[in-house]
Amino acid sequence: MIQATELTRRFGRHTAVDGISFELARGEVVGFLGPNGAGKTTTIRMLTGFLPPSGGSVTVGGYDVLRESLAVRKKIGYLPESVPLYREHRVEEMLLFQGRLHGLARKDAKRRGADVLERVGLADRSRTVIGKLSKGQRQRIGLAVALLPDPEVLILDEPTSGLDPLQRIEVRRLIGELAEERTVLVSSHILPEIEAICPRVIVLNKGKIAADGTAEELVSRSPRASFVRLEAMVGFGEDAGAEAAKALGTLDGVVEVRELDAMGIHRTFEVVAEHDLREDVGALAMQRSWALRELSWHAPSLEDLFKRIALGLEDGEALPSEAEPARAATPSAEPAPTASGLPVLETTPPKPEPRVLNPFATPLDGGVSPGEDANPLT
Amino acid sequence: MRGWTTIYRRELAGLFLSPLAWILFCGTWFYNAYFYLRFLEVDSRGVVDDALQLTLGGALPFWFLMLFLPPLLTMRMVSEEAKNGLLEFLLTAPVGDAAVISGKALAATTFLALVWMCGPVFGLATHAFGATPDWGGLAAATLGAILVSGLFSALGLVWSTVFHTPLVSAFVAIVVNIVILFLPVTLASAKLSPDGFLRDVIAKVDVVANYQGSFQTGVIDTAHLVFFLAWTVTLVFLSVRLLERKRWLG
Repeated sequence: MIQATELTRRFGRHTAVDGISFELARGEVVGFLGPNGAGKTTTIRMLTGFLPPSGGSVTVGGYDVLRESLAVRKKIGYLPESVPLYREHRVEEMLLFQGRLHGLARKDAKRRGADVLERVGLADRSRTVIGKLSKGQRQRIGLAVALLPDPEVLILDEPTSGLDPLQRIEVRRLIGELAEERTVLVSSHILPEIEAICPRVIVLNKGKIAADGTAEELVSRSPRASFVRLEAMVGFGEDAGAEAAKALGTLDGVVEVRELDAMGIHRTFEVVAEHDLREDVGALAMQRSWALRELSWHAPSLEDLFKRIALGLEDGEALPSEAEPARAATPSAEPAPTASGLPVLETTPPKPEPRVLNPFATPLDGGVSPGEDANPLT
Repeated sequence: MRGWTTIYRRELAGLFLSPLAWILFCGTWFYNAYFYLRFLEVDSRGVVDDALQLTLGGALPFWFLMLFLPPLLTMRMVSEEAKNGLLEFLLTAPVGDAAVISGKALAATTFLALVWMCGPVFGLATHAFGATPDWGGLAAATLGAILVSGLFSALGLVWSTVFHTPLVSAFVAIVVNIVILFLPVTLASAKLSPDGFLRDVIAKVDVVANYQGSFQTGVIDTAHLVFFLAWTVTLVFLSVRLLERKRWLG
C-alpha cells in the first residue's frame, strides 16, 4: 500500500531522513518509533505529500506522491501531532468542511460526520465550538476528521497525546478496529502503546531505519539479556554481598551476577540468565535464610531496545541506568574452573565507597577478589 | 481547481467569526458614513453623486482604508495557519495549492466588497430623502472598489505567505501599499514626473490613476478592468509559487 524507496530529506546541510526504504502492506498496522529529531514527522510529511522529498520516491496505493499528489491525498487520512482544527467552528462544521474538501456531497459529508463522531465517542458534541472542547476531546475530533473520508491509509502522529488513561485505552481500541479495514501508521513516543497497537515496529534514529520487525523479533534480537532481580538481606559481614553473588553464580544457567548498591541492610543483585530462574534463586534464598524483599523476572523489552538505539549503544554496552549502580561480579564468558570444578567469578575493581548516612549501611568492598576461593558450597 | 469554493466559504465564515473582522466591518461603515455626510456638507451644491464618488475612491479616506484593511484581513490567512498546523491540514487534503490561495483571496475580497456596499446603501438612503443618485456611476465605482480590494488582498496574501508572523506580514504589506498608492501621487504633486521607462513602470502599477481614470467616472474601460484582474491573478500566482517554495524548503 505504501512503498518508500531511498527516501531522503535534507534541510540545508542537515539530513533529516537519510535514504530509508520500507513497505507497508494493505491492512498492516505499523508503529513508527524514534527519539526526538529521528525523522519520524519528516518521513510522515513526505508520505502525506506535504513535504517533497529531496531524493527517493514514495507511492501510496500505486500513486506517486509527487506526481499524483491529489490521488494520494484522497487515499490518506492524516492526523498531525498539532491536531489542526478551526477552533472558532463547531465540530459538525469542521467535519462538513473536511467532507467537502474530499469531494463528498453535503448530505454524505453530514452522514459520515455523524458516523465518525459516534465512533470516537463524541456524538453529543457535534454542536460544540471546537475551542471550548478539552484537549483530549479535540484529539478525538482530530481523529474523527482524519477518519471522515474513510481513507485506505490512516497516518496518526502521536494520536493519544493529551488523553487520559481511559481515553487512551479507548483510542487504542478504536485504532485496533480501524486496523481491520485499512493500513495504519502510528507514530508515538509511548512505547507500551506501540507494543499494544502495532504488530510491526519501525524504529528510526538519526534519519535512518535502526530496526524494523515485529516487537517480538526486535526484542529477541536485543543484546540485552533477561535477568532475575533479587533484593534481600543476605548478611551483615563485609563479604556478605560478595559471598551471596558467588552463591548465585553457581546456579545452573547463570551467565552473570551483578551486585547493585546496597539500600540499608538490603542488597540488590541482578542474576542474568537465559531463562526464568526465580524458583532456583528463591530456593537458594531459603537455603541460606536470606530475608527476601523482591524477587522478580525482567525480560528485555522494546523500551530497552529503543533506549539502546536512541543512545547509540553497541551490543556489548550496558544502558547507563544499569551500568551506573552495578558494581559487582561479571563472570567471564567461560569462567575458569577451580580445583573443585566450580567456576571462579571475575570481579570488577571496587569503586570508592560513597559516604552513606544510613546507620545500617555496611561498607562494601565490591565483588570477589580474584584468586579467592569463590565456591560458596565448599 | 477543485475545492476553492469550499476553502472560500470556510475562510469567509472564519472572517465573520472573528471579532477583529466585525470591528473592522462596523468601524469602516461608520467611518464611511461620517465622510459621506461631511462630503455632502462641504459640497456647497450638495450633489449626491459627488459625495458618493468621493466616498468610493475619489478622496483620501477611501485609500487610507485600502492601506490597512486588506493587510489586516489577510495577515493571518497563511502565516498563522502555517504556525498552528492548519496549512498542513489543508495542503494534505485533496485540493491544490492554487485552490487554497484563490479561496482565501476571494474570501478577503468578498469581505471588503461588503464593506464597499456602504456606497449603494448610502445611495438608497439618500434616495429615500428625495435625491436620486446616478445608479450606473455608483455601480461602476463599487465594482472598481471591489477590484482594488481584490488586488490588495492578493498582495496581502503574498506577504502572509512570505512571513511567519502575521504582524510582520501586515506591517510589510502596509508599507508596500503606501509606496504603491502614494508614490505616483507624490511624484505628480511635486512635479517630478519621470520620463521614459520609469514613467511607463509607474503607470503600470498606478492603482489610483487606473481606478480614478475609469470606474470612478462611471465608465468601465476594458484596459483598466484588465489592469486590475491581471495584477490580481499575477499576485495570486506568486503566492501559490511562494507556498510551493515554502513546502520545498520545509
